[in-house]
Amino acid sequence: MIPLIGLVIGVGLGFVLHPTVPLWLQPYLPIAIVAALDAMFGGLRAKLEGIFDDRVFVVSFVSNTIVAALIVFLGDQLGVGSQLSTGVVVVLGIRIFSNVAAIRRRLFRA
Amino acid sequence: MPEEEQPKRRPDASMSLLADLFAEDALDPGYARAATTNRPTRRGVGAVGVFAMLALAGLLVAVAGLQVRRHEPAAVKERQRLIAEIHDRTAQTDELQRRMEAVRAQTERARTAALARSAAGQRARQDLARVADAAAATERTGRGITVTVDDGRPAGDDMGGTDLGRVYDQDLQILVNGLWEAGAVAIGVNGQRLTSTTAIRAAGDAILVDYRPLTPPYKVTALGGDGLRDAFAASAAEQHFRTLRDQFGMRFDVHKEHAARLPAAVALRLHYAQEATHR
Repeated sequence: MIPLIGLVIGVGLGFVLHPTVPLWLQPYLPIAIVAALDAMFGGLRAKLEGIFDDRVFVVSFVSNTIVAALIVFLGDQLGVGSQLSTGVVVVLGIRIFSNVAAIRRRLFRA
Repeated sequence: MPEEEQPKRRPDASMSLLADLFAEDALDPGYARAATTNRPTRRGVGAVGVFAMLALAGLLVAVAGLQVRRHEPAAVKERQRLIAEIHDRTAQTDELQRRMEAVRAQTERARTAALARSAAGQRARQDLARVADAAAATERTGRGITVTVDDGRPAGDDMGGTDLGRVYDQDLQILVNGLWEAGAVAIGVNGQRLTSTTAIRAAGDAILVDYRPLTPPYKVTALGGDGLRDAFAASAAEQHFRTLRDQFGMRFDVHKEHAARLPAAVALRLHYAQEATHR
């Protein structure tokens, strides 16, 4: 319940505060979100499987986001631009899919 | 098999990214390890951390959504501005064009008046009229034919949509040269007058006449006597286009025009003559 409230409050804050994202940060935002989604679904699955751990969740969330941003940064510096971000999105996307599939199997037994 | 001998650890274990992804254990291994170590519930990070992380995730999503929505109108606005600028500049060009035509007519009148005073001037005027006519420097009206050509349908999706049915610059060159050969005295493509040095070229997907891009369909108007249609019908150019029409579905129509009008060529440059700097 508490995590859900946190999520709602976060969304509410975003809408209320209307923060402007500085230009240099903008390329990292979408990839950070994908990484955050990955950590969230991972956490949800762990919760359903009864092995959720606060510390693992927080650490994986932070490190996922930071590593994703670093990869985008590295891609920019190397001149491969969005290709590296595409790689990140593909890998994280596959993980999100298989985690969601596990959640679905657990919830619906199908 | 080495894998069977040591099933515990494969040599490429650290690189089996995709294998790991497609295996069922897409879950962060940290969870499993944390569960097995079975330490007493140490509330170091605790629910507060989870709460903060999820709040952060929500914030990120909300900000990104707002960002996208905020940028959308900006892009639309930018596009509108560009379109408006294009219209603006086109209108300016048209206006300049009209002014140039007016000034040119004025010059023409002044020259005619100046040359009409002497017999030598009269001769010069006749020469000039003849030369100007040949150089496409004057507007011209008369009978003629209009040839309309356009791209054919892309040759089927099963063929991968080949471009064989497209009108290329060479086709237009063949057409124009055929019309000259058939006795045309003035030719315009999409209302643009051709001179003897006008280039018909391709740049990317567009055909350029005198370095201005054309949009299909291509209407080639040729002025000439009554025999022009028949002479063109017998030419190799018409044969060429008939073949293209039959084979690739390219559009090819020829119409007789009773009163066609071709404007003067726009960009006439002096190639050899030079302005007299001193007398």
